[in-house]
Amino acid sequence: MKKITRFRSYFLSAACAFAAVAFSSCDSDNDGPAGEYARNGVLISNEGAMTKSNASVSFYSHDSKSVENESFKKVNAPLVLGDVLQHMTKQGEKLYLVMNNSGKVLVANAHTLKAEGEIAGLEAPRYIAVLDDNKAYVTEWLGYDPATFAYDNGRVAVVDLKTNTVTKTITVGVQPEELLITAGKLFVANSGGRSVTVINTNTDAIETTITVNDGPNSLALDRNNMLWVSSTGVKVYDPTDWSVSEENSTPGSLAKVNPISNTVMTTLTFSQHAPSPGRLTSAPNGDKLYYVFNNKVWVQDVNAVALATKPLIDRGTYVAYGFNGLGIEPASGLIYAGKASDYTSNGWVVRYNSQSGAAIDSFRVGIAPNGFVFQQ
Amino acid sequence: MTASAIAQQDTTLYQLRTVEIFGKPAEVFASGSRVSTLDSSFIHTYTAGTLADVIQARTPVFLKTNGPSGIAVPAFRGTSPTHTAVLWNGLNISQPALGQSDFSLLPVSSIGNIAVQHGAAGATYGSGAIGGAVLLSSQTQPDPGFGAELMQEVGSFGRYFSSANARYSGRKVSVALSGYRVAAENDFAFRDYGRIGAPTRRQDQAQVAQHGFTQDVSWQLSSKTRLALHGWYTYANREVPPSLGAANTNARQLDRNLRLMTELNHHSNWGETSVKAAIFNDYLRYTDNNNNSLTDINTYQVQAEQTYTYARRWSLRGGLNLQHFEADVQGYGRQVTEDRASAFLLFRYDPSQRLDLSLNLRQAFVKGYNPTPAPTLGANWLMLQQGGHALYLKGNVSGSYRVPTLNERFWQPGGNPDIKPEQGWNFETGLRHRYTLGAVLLESEASVYRMLVDNWIQWMPVTSSYWSPRNLQKVRSQGVELSSRASTALGNWQLAATVAYTYTSSEQVKAYEGSQELNRQLAHIPLHKAHLGTDLSFRTWTLLGNLTYNGLRYTDNSNANNLPAYTLLSLAVHKKFALGQSQLVASLRSDNVTDRAYTVLENMPMPPRSLAASLRFIIP
Repeated sequence: MKKITRFRSYFLSAACAFAAVAFSSCDSDNDGPAGEYARNGVLISNEGAMTKSNASVSFYSHDSKSVENESFKKVNAPLVLGDVLQHMTKQGEKLYLVMNNSGKVLVANAHTLKAEGEIAGLEAPRYIAVLDDNKAYVTEWLGYDPATFAYDNGRVAVVDLKTNTVTKTITVGVQPEELLITAGKLFVANSGGRSVTVINTNTDAIETTITVNDGPNSLALDRNNMLWVSSTGVKVYDPTDWSVSEENSTPGSLAKVNPISNTVMTTLTFSQHAPSPGRLTSAPNGDKLYYVFNNKVWVQDVNAVALATKPLIDRGTYVAYGFNGLGIEPASGLIYAGKASDYTSNGWVVRYNSQSGAAIDSFRVGIAPNGFVFQQ
Repeated sequence: MTASAIAQQDTTLYQLRTVEIFGKPAEVFASGSRVSTLDSSFIHTYTAGTLADVIQARTPVFLKTNGPSGIAVPAFRGTSPTHTAVLWNGLNISQPALGQSDFSLLPVSSIGNIAVQHGAAGATYGSGAIGGAVLLSSQTQPDPGFGAELMQEVGSFGRYFSSANARYSGRKVSVALSGYRVAAENDFAFRDYGRIGAPTRRQDQAQVAQHGFTQDVSWQLSSKTRLALHGWYTYANREVPPSLGAANTNARQLDRNLRLMTELNHHSNWGETSVKAAIFNDYLRYTDNNNNSLTDINTYQVQAEQTYTYARRWSLRGGLNLQHFEADVQGYGRQVTEDRASAFLLFRYDPSQRLDLSLNLRQAFVKGYNPTPAPTLGANWLMLQQGGHALYLKGNVSGSYRVPTLNERFWQPGGNPDIKPEQGWNFETGLRHRYTLGAVLLESEASVYRMLVDNWIQWMPVTSSYWSPRNLQKVRSQGVELSSRASTALGNWQLAATVAYTYTSSEQVKAYEGSQELNRQLAHIPLHKAHLGTDLSFRTWTLLGNLTYNGLRYTDNSNANNLPAYTLLSLAVHKKFALGQSQLVASLRSDNVTDRAYTVLENMPMPPRSLAASLRFIIP
């Protein structure tokens, strides 16, 4: 099924390339949105190096089979995108770019990348979840103490998307990280603690908190509308070489949560203690979950009762940020991985076959790629 | 007062004499390399400024500076900031935790002479002299008797500078004291391209408060023995501005540096003996909303040298340098001490009046590992002498090294105790031409160099939780340095012009670990840098102009993004008034005269056109 889809897209792009010679443009779907970045490609968020304000957006076009870097800059210069692009998401015609160290969310047109506004007044925004055209939620870390290296409780900012202003803040757990909306509720992973906060999206009031393993950091929804939570466990560093201690750390886990009853159905605990799972991503049809663990990518059937024993993608000794971002393209089923080498040179996007885990190709993007928005 | 500009150090004009003033300059042993001295009238123009201002304006060194108040670190011949050694009266004063010097902490008013050694000189100046070295020395006593000077400058963006100095020089004892104080708001207006609509904003995070003093005492114990004491204290409390588009995290840096040294010179039949002992304290505190980092390091340093000179033929200097560090650095998690030593032998030989050679060697010793020996072989030959022309051919091969910094070894997490020292080789050759015709003097120099630095240390992510320094790269830097200076005097007029151009290609040619960019220009190193300086004086009037061009710089090692080239013009005019025996100098200076909007590092706006007016009262 996936193969056919991919073949079709190749065929289409080949046809378009041919047609481009004869006609000035090629639209396989005339009702589609207009704009250079509107369709048949992938927007890539590049985090950039902290304090340098060199975050960027790249665009990979399936039509031309080429990547364009600094797309945001190209459209909006001399406007600077900002510092540390932590998360990028699309809602309708809007693209929301969470600029962590700029303390704002930049709003751009998702088809043209033209900057349209910003949501200011945020302290250290991490991730955004959009409910509808009117409302969104942003997680923020608060109260870092450089002496103790500890944070206070963070918050969720409720944003009115018509005015791009924060209308309310909700105090949640420590270091709230990813957030997800389902079943009329917002689920917030409090990565500095061991809970998931549940917020009613009608009232914006906290409904309850669900206790999970320590360090919940990423969330995904499966085919059965079950919520998956990855938790890192408690990590203890070896004081001599600063590696994570296998002996003294507690293992990470994946938990399956029923979002209706707010209960943990299953917890799958890793046997290795030192590595942490993260970047939980569900397949487009929700039958599988992909995640990063021990600098490898693993796949998990949503109905499986045990964790996979072999990784899907294993690059051996690989750069530390080899899976800085993970995305599955709905049309092709390909796995996109953002590979950051360091923060002074550009990174890569490496594409993998989601069945075999084999690397297919790669292209160069901006500094530290960490996320993808697939434009159909 | 004649001319400005860099006066090229003429090592061949130097005559080896058996009776010599104490402290034979180390440049004597630098045959065939390029050493330039910054002209004192140009330094006077920047009395109210820092070493960063003068080095940026009149040398090929590119300074990476993050704003009007921020740190300014050198990139010399395409190398990194840790590759320029800074010496004060012959001792290395680089901050030991970072292994580099922030030039904006070194006020010009506290420095007597500034010389710049181009290229590697590890044998002469020790660790860190890979791209070059900046040699600072204390004010020397000009004339016997009393003297004093007072200065006050008022400048744009709320900048106030005051300095005072006094000296007494007798037959046996001379004493000099100086102090300065700077307060600057740096509240200039800039377009904030980090906000939609690019509103004009005032810089509100670049305030600076600096003060400091120097003290120099020299005591002639006998006709053959002299004792000197030098003290130098600097204090700087600076706000660090955020990049455009980044949140203001209230970053602030406090630096306190105390340097004390004593120097004993003795002349005997065995030649000159020089013994220096020093205590340095370097305190640095960096705070922002997320950091509170403290560095407090005491450095104890002893250097003993013996120089023997035979007639006008040769001169031999042997010496030993010992360093002991006591570091209280939060990031190390414990007190760290380290001892380093190095021994050196410098030899200069003049087989004829037209040829001088030098052969130098240094070996450093550090517990756990020893860097490879750093030799230098250089020659300077007067090839042609005809009419008013003199043409010299120069050449030099020199080794260099850098002992890893304390951070690179001890920082937790990540510090790498097994890291190896960096090692460099520098090859250069050049021509120097002097032409005199009546009152006209024309001096030109052209050099080409090629430098290889191996085991270049870079921090890299080893796991997703921390970074660690690794001997990652082999870097090749090569380039051309051209400079020419013409000066003349016509009646009451004195004219001088300097033009200089530098081409610097610096690329990583080999990577030992991970995926690294090869054969691309290193970030923040301009390929082209040029300057044009002019000096005009008529009776009591002096006019100085300086035009500096810095070419395009890449902001990343992939050469994907760059910052545009920029040209800056500065102008200054001085007028002298005689007040009896004393003198009053009134000055007006303008920097960035053309009001050019530019950045040195990305997203860090620099000040627009500025004006400064000063009065200087001199009692000779």
